Amino acid sequence: MAPSHYVGLLALVAGCLLPSGVLALWPIPSTLETGMAALKVSPAFYFDVQVKGAPVDLYEAVAQAQYYLANDKLGRLVVGRGANDTTALASAKTLSKLTLSLTSWATAEPIAAEAVKPLGTRSEEYALTIPADGSAATLMANSTLGLYRGLTTFNQLFYYYGGVTYTLLAPIAITDTPAYPFRGLALDTARNYYPVSDIVRTLDAMSWVKINTFHWHITDSQSFPLEVAQYPGLAINGAYSPQEVYTASDVQYIVQYAAARGIDVMMEIDTPGHTSIIAATYPDYVACFDETPWAHYANEPPAGQLRFALPEVVNFTTSLLTGVAKNLPSSYFSTGGDELNTNCYANDYPTQLQLNSTGMTLNGALDTFTQVTHAALIAEGKTPVVWEEMVLNWNLTLANETIVMVWISSADAAAVAARGFRIIHAPSNYFYLDCGAGGWVGGYPAGNSWCDPFKTWSEAYTFNPLANLTQAQYGLVLGGEQLLWSEQSAPQNLDPIVWPRAASSAEIFWSGKQPTGAPLNVTEALPRLHDVRYRMVQRGLKPIPLQPHWCALRPDACDLTA
Amino acid sequence: MAFSRYVVVLALVAGCLLPSGVQALWPIPTTLETGMTTLKISPAFYFDVQIEGAPPDLCDAVAQSQYYLENDKLGRLVVGRGANDTTALASAMTLSKLTLALASGATVGSISSEAVKPLGTRSEEYALMIPADGSAATLTANTTLGLYRGLTTFNQLFYYYGGVTYTSIAPIAIRDTPAYPFRGLALDTSRNYYPVSDILRTLDAMSWVKINTFHWHITDSQSFPLEVAQYPELAINGAYSPQEVYTASDVQHIVQYAAARGIDVMMEIDTPGHTAIIAATYPEYVACFDARPWADFANEPPAGQLRFALPEVMNFTASLLTNVAKTLPSYYFSTGGDELNTNCYANDYLTQRQLNSTGMTLNGALDTFTQTTHGALIAQGKTPVVWEEMVLNWNITLSNETIVMIWISSADAAAVAGRGFRIIQAPSNYFYLDCGAGEWLGDDPTGNSWCDPFKTWSEAYTFDPLANLTEAQYKLVLGGKHNLVSRYIDLSEQSTGEQLLWSEQSGPQNVDPIVWPRAASSAEIFWSGKQPTGAALNVTEALPRLHDVRYRMVQRGVNAIPLQPHWCALRPDACDLYA
Repeated sequence: MAPSHYVGLLALVAGCLLPSGVLALWPIPSTLETGMAALKVSPAFYFDVQVKGAPVDLYEAVAQAQYYLANDKLGRLVVGRGANDTTALASAKTLSKLTLSLTSWATAEPIAAEAVKPLGTRSEEYALTIPADGSAATLMANSTLGLYRGLTTFNQLFYYYGGVTYTLLAPIAITDTPAYPFRGLALDTARNYYPVSDIVRTLDAMSWVKINTFHWHITDSQSFPLEVAQYPGLAINGAYSPQEVYTASDVQYIVQYAAARGIDVMMEIDTPGHTSIIAATYPDYVACFDETPWAHYANEPPAGQLRFALPEVVNFTTSLLTGVAKNLPSSYFSTGGDELNTNCYANDYPTQLQLNSTGMTLNGALDTFTQVTHAALIAEGKTPVVWEEMVLNWNLTLANETIVMVWISSADAAAVAARGFRIIHAPSNYFYLDCGAGGWVGGYPAGNSWCDPFKTWSEAYTFNPLANLTQAQYGLVLGGEQLLWSEQSAPQNLDPIVWPRAASSAEIFWSGKQPTGAPLNVTEALPRLHDVRYRMVQRGLKPIPLQPHWCALRPDACDLTA
Repeated sequence: MAFSRYVVVLALVAGCLLPSGVQALWPIPTTLETGMTTLKISPAFYFDVQIEGAPPDLCDAVAQSQYYLENDKLGRLVVGRGANDTTALASAMTLSKLTLALASGATVGSISSEAVKPLGTRSEEYALMIPADGSAATLTANTTLGLYRGLTTFNQLFYYYGGVTYTSIAPIAIRDTPAYPFRGLALDTSRNYYPVSDILRTLDAMSWVKINTFHWHITDSQSFPLEVAQYPELAINGAYSPQEVYTASDVQHIVQYAAARGIDVMMEIDTPGHTAIIAATYPEYVACFDARPWADFANEPPAGQLRFALPEVMNFTASLLTNVAKTLPSYYFSTGGDELNTNCYANDYLTQRQLNSTGMTLNGALDTFTQTTHGALIAQGKTPVVWEEMVLNWNITLSNETIVMIWISSADAAAVAGRGFRIIQAPSNYFYLDCGAGEWLGDDPTGNSWCDPFKTWSEAYTFDPLANLTEAQYKLVLGGKHNLVSRYIDLSEQSTGEQLLWSEQSGPQNVDPIVWPRAASSAEIFWSGKQPTGAALNVTEALPRLHDVRYRMVQRGVNAIPLQPHWCALRPDACDLYA
């Protein structure tokens, strides 16, 4: 997209624009100018799609935007909820349409196709202009994906009072482009299972704040809820029940649902650790399965890890990963690699026999395993994604394109960057949504969450993606994600434990800074995040309140030093 | 209730009974004997109510019990969820009815009327017998309230697999009576509002674990969602919106719904602190309303406290409290009394002028205020309930019957007991359900929950109601009217408890997962007190049963959190620390 295009547009309206006051866009756009005029949405308002060969999913997105516009019915978060706006509304102009169009050189691909392109090749930017005089609003982008992002922004602009949907900030001129290409949310569906409907609802909420990656940690030691065509026994024996399986068609449905909302699904089959339940189908492939005391063999029960030193396990894992990955449109696939327990292998006879007979070290065997499995993925056109231990704890030869997820501590990012790998920030000390729920292992009432305390939205929001990195390393940061591990979570608390907190990283990695150029600031952000939360409630989600409602209606009145 | 009756029944079956294996009653009964026989519920199973003049709410309770029996459809928490039970089921006998009866000579009252009697005069005990041979099961009690408790136990006994509802542990003989008379759950509906439907669902869940008191912290500084007939503006100006009001009929509906489930509603209108929003209606009654910086005048925003030194405020408050309390059937009403900020009053001109003109101290004025408001409540037959500061921080003359809620720390119970007051244990360091959610004030990203960490079910479960109390304090008996035949009477009169949800960071969106199943911890502490063997309650023994409670709650539509991965729930003890 040519920035000059927008510069010209903005110059036309700049004379009547003032710095923005209270408004509730999240993530906050790159540039934003607003006025002080009230503008009502006409009862006959429509979206005018001026896109040649517009794909079906763009029309669906427009229908969804129309639905939200008509049904959000969100009162402004001020005392009176908009009752004081009636005078301004009486004389307000009426907005009758939003015209969507692509830049002249763009071709109209489905949103779903744009959303799964490799990072760095997607165009999410857009320009949205809403005149104050009632003339048509315009949304322009280089791609249908950009138009989709613009529609989510458009929907956040409007409030409802007394039968009228309106904004008080017209005219509005926005140009917007993400600071980082990867903005994710990770969900563990193995410790406890989530029905497809819960995942779909979560994808909706993600799209509202422009999160573009669903990191699906689909299997783990406790259950294997993924139907794999080549290895049907894995789910038959490893899922919690036949009802708690993501079938091949479930996965395709979720992937397509996500893509139509601008979200790429990066699946993770964590290997060679976190694989205990595979023993229910292939007992010979798993070392120290359900060995006790589990704490000697694993970070949590049940113990059990793939015997990666065995050639048949290397072959099986390669076939499993590629068999799954090839059915997914994403260019990315995570092979995991965290929390390997060496004591387990030290005491595993088949592993030791193999190492002794080949003269390999455990590290050497892991290197072979990783190179083989990753090479197979790369041959399928997939970029491998791993947890930080694969770089920091083991001496492995990883492809340069490998992406590394930093989770143990935000302090580890610098070491990964020093090795030249691209980074996804997923640090437990900022972004783990499950921290602070107390200990969950039994027989230990004094136990606490290993990553206590709870990471509030504001603590997460202070994360600096570039901390401790050199300027030359900045380009290695692809973005970041907040994560829900499910030892103590399930459909029952999914919404409140994730939302609105997961919006924090969405803004860090989309906006990066305030439109003024100032750094993101929790005090500036809180009123907008309240707005996100209340709009989510209107749309049927169950995000927690961040404060008493009294505070939500009075920006800054509940600040620490107010 | 004549205990000899049960002794005879138990003697008859004792020969074929074994110590109980895995079963999932919560709270665990006082005495419990189970066998190893599988017993199916007949498709024609029915509840045979052998009570002349059975009240409608008992019939409703029976219908609800029948509904749960048919619809819980809870698979046993074992690998296979009951698939291995099919062989035993093939040859199992069938249970066709449960006969409900009152002990001879008992008078028949409604559950609702029994549930709101004074503490110590309610009879919640029951006996439940389920023979293994398919002959009728029996549930006997002194009161309909006891029958209600027994029905909740009955429902916890059964599992479902392949179209069959069954138990694997017949015969079953249970005698059960609460260790403590007050087992509560507190909910703050002022910081954020909860629709009536959320409160009703919470009452249902409370009843499943025999919690018998809903401590309704209905108002606070942030909003006044209670419609008061004499002072309608309090809600008009103080509720968050006209839709976020508990109308008089809402309150009656909630109170009746609760009582029919064996739950007394103890309402709290916190005074004289926690009242800022009253200024929206009566600005002259409130000191330092919304004064800044709020931290100089209150523990949280907005600042604002009743000017209790002013006679007109005292009269208003006494009138407000009694007018609300008189519409409620409970004998108990909480006037609050926590977290008074003295700096607010030191800087309040009207308060200082009043004190100077009368020569009173602030403490003296608070004493007068409290005696007046409490005197009015007592005159209405209500027992005042206060937070611990009223005893420990101020020198106030409280009526002996006053009940004191310990919240700041469990360590404070001894000091209150030392003053001879009855106690409700509500310590933040064990029982606050909101702890551990991080700072909620703005502009404080490194701040933490003031009572961090999160209080897990198991931490709460290790609470000892009698810690630091002397035996003599156990035996402090106030009120003294009770007909329980229990050796826990003396203890129970002294110390009871509740878990609490303050709502700065909670709303209808997370009420289920933040409360359940954790709030079941105190329910068992205060109902069971110990294991049937006489051993102390133990987290390792309890966890499989609490999993069961949680999964049954999910079956009934309550969004209770999982305590562990499902893998662990199916394998008792496999996820213990040292397993």
